[in-house]
Amino acid sequence: MKAGLPQNRNSRLMLSGKLPCELLQNHYQVSISRHEQTALTFWDTFEWGMWFGGYLLYSSENIYHLCKLKDGWLGDEICSEVTDILPRFKEDFKTGRMQKILTGILGIRGLATVFEGTLNQLQLEIRNDYGKIICRLDCSTISSKRAGNEKPPYSCCRVTPLMGYEAESGNIIKLLARYQTDESQEGPLELLFKQMGRKPCRYTLRPVFGLDFKTPAREATGKIVRSILSIALSNLPGLLSDIDTEFLHDYRICIRKIRSLLALIKGVYPDGAVSDIRTQLGEMARSTNRLRDLDVYLLARGEYLEMLPPQLRPALYSMFDEVAAERKLEVKNLVLDIQSAAYQNTIEGIESFFSETEMHGPSLSADIPVGQLVFRQMYRRYKKICRMARAIDAYTADEMLHQLRIECKKLRYLMEFFRELIDDTDIVAMQKILRSLQEILGEFNDTSVQQKTILGYFNSKRDDIDIALGIGGLVSILYYRRQQSRRRIVKVLNSFCGKGMSVVFKRNFKQKKLNPKV
Amino acid sequence: MKIISSYSIKGGVGKTALAVNLAFAFHETGRRTLLLDLDPQGAAAFYFRVGNAKKLNMDDSRTIAADLRKNIRESDFPGLDIIPSNLAYRHFDVILNGMSKSRKQLRKVLDEFRSDYDTILMDCPPNITLLSENVFRASDAIMVPVIPTVLSQRTLEQLFSFFRDEELSCDMLHPFFSMAQKINKMHREIIEELPQAYPGFLKTVIPFSVNVEKMGIRRMPLLAYSNNCEAALAYRSLCNEIISITKSDPHS
Repeated sequence: MKAGLPQNRNSRLMLSGKLPCELLQNHYQVSISRHEQTALTFWDTFEWGMWFGGYLLYSSENIYHLCKLKDGWLGDEICSEVTDILPRFKEDFKTGRMQKILTGILGIRGLATVFEGTLNQLQLEIRNDYGKIICRLDCSTISSKRAGNEKPPYSCCRVTPLMGYEAESGNIIKLLARYQTDESQEGPLELLFKQMGRKPCRYTLRPVFGLDFKTPAREATGKIVRSILSIALSNLPGLLSDIDTEFLHDYRICIRKIRSLLALIKGVYPDGAVSDIRTQLGEMARSTNRLRDLDVYLLARGEYLEMLPPQLRPALYSMFDEVAAERKLEVKNLVLDIQSAAYQNTIEGIESFFSETEMHGPSLSADIPVGQLVFRQMYRRYKKICRMARAIDAYTADEMLHQLRIECKKLRYLMEFFRELIDDTDIVAMQKILRSLQEILGEFNDTSVQQKTILGYFNSKRDDIDIALGIGGLVSILYYRRQQSRRRIVKVLNSFCGKGMSVVFKRNFKQKKLNPKV
Repeated sequence: MKIISSYSIKGGVGKTALAVNLAFAFHETGRRTLLLDLDPQGAAAFYFRVGNAKKLNMDDSRTIAADLRKNIRESDFPGLDIIPSNLAYRHFDVILNGMSKSRKQLRKVLDEFRSDYDTILMDCPPNITLLSENVFRASDAIMVPVIPTVLSQRTLEQLFSFFRDEELSCDMLHPFFSMAQKINKMHREIIEELPQAYPGFLKTVIPFSVNVEKMGIRRMPLLAYSNNCEAALAYRSLCNEIISITKSDPHS
């Protein structure tokens, strides 16, 4: 086998401060072959999808560059795209490779600025005593806008020895290594982001609360509420700026979860106070219902249009235009609502109620081990779902299926809140089947609601024959899908309530008092 | 991969200047180019500010190739690499003599570089030895600089005779005029007449130029510092002729 020419010969060093050019000049002939300074903006999603996907997206003027994230710094450029608009979503990028990678990372999330600063790129040629280039040195620094004209805190230096001059170049690497940054958990770009008050962190709607079976119920509830509430509030800036629809979606989930938790765990706090908070949370969630509905329609725009033959599609354009216009108004109203003093007071009240230092009066279940309390609840919920399932067939009323969906959701939330207490293998199996059951019930519910809403829209447009045709086509398909979902519900319910799952639920929750997971 | 040699029995005719500038011109076309300095004087590498090669282990074609590879030096011009010379190359003949198929060993050595380069240019020492015979058998084209003088004319005839005697293909020999001076009447006459006797004679004439002489001071190919002078343009033209003759493909 042929050896081939050596590849990937460059070394990368992160230096504190600027590149020590003078030091190099004392030992070698140094010449600048390129020097560029450009303003740049880094972009990422709220979830830091680019960062954790191992990429960096930055723009300089109207050029967007997609790079690999390497050692916490700009790695090799993968592709770039010139655009005259301010792209936010994956579909705003048009070139193949850029769109392909961003589609995988962004999903339906939008991009927002995470850092603004100046990129300084310098390329040097280092020569030996004969004047022969022995290596090239690419040095980049980024300084943040906020830091003004201060010295950049880090330089990323890539030393690329020319073939046959690796040993000589090694001395340069040794020389620069003296200026290398200290070993740090945070990468250089991460530290720069920190200057702007941003820090890449994993986002999840399912955090670990640090509970065990014996954690007192009130302490456990406080931990869960504080954690979920902080996630809800972290979504507010994105929601107010209307970056994408997922801020509202996640905010609503968090609010619903807290509300649900407070209903599921009774007797942990004195009754009256919790009931007030539940009412407040209910109002908060309700005030976003319409906006979420509109978001769902707009997100499904492409899917709706594809359901219809091309000649019927234009009829729906005006419907989506109306939805988009209404959405704008709803966003405006919600922003006003969230920025109101009343909203702030409500949030502060909830935070204060569940704060670690808040003293509450005694209650029946405050100090009992949370495992004991919730396992009983979970098993009861499971049995209830099974009882309801037995009565379900192809003719069951929609309302009954809606109730079943709500019961499933309660059980899923409980299992999510307290999954740290449940056997690792069993929780996967239980959640998997519960998720598929909920997906189908959700699909059934969505098609029912959509069908109703679209027919409602039609009632206001009865004179327009084109709209009538378009809506007619759409409603037929939605009805067909709804019937299909109904058939699948019965099938999945059989597995969920079957002997296999029943044993798993019983093993984990009925006898848990005797054999708790520590 | 095409292998092109700069060769003449006679010294001082511009072989090294040809090898260095032709290598540069090939790299300008985007071809991955390797300049192999086989002349123990090491002038070609000197023009690129590259020091001597380390001594080679010359047991067989494989070990020669491996050691040559270790001696590759990247020039200041990306895509153009050099294997510098070593005084030990003067023993090439003796070593090749001890090998079986001793006239075809160089071809086997250079085949090892097929995936790495599009063009290999060899700067050869001015004599007819076993190494030269290896060069003849390894090359796709042999470029022969000819100063338009009677002596050069004579050595060119000697080279063609040798090829005929050894049953080598004279088609690969491509003489061209080097260091030609238009004001010299004899030069003009030889330039007019000599090509008619040799079908492979190239059209390009490299003029005598002080700029070419300055390569020793600048220590870089003429094309790198005097891009548009008459001699630089002539080297590029020569490069195009040889690309056309050898049907050399650029690297994709």
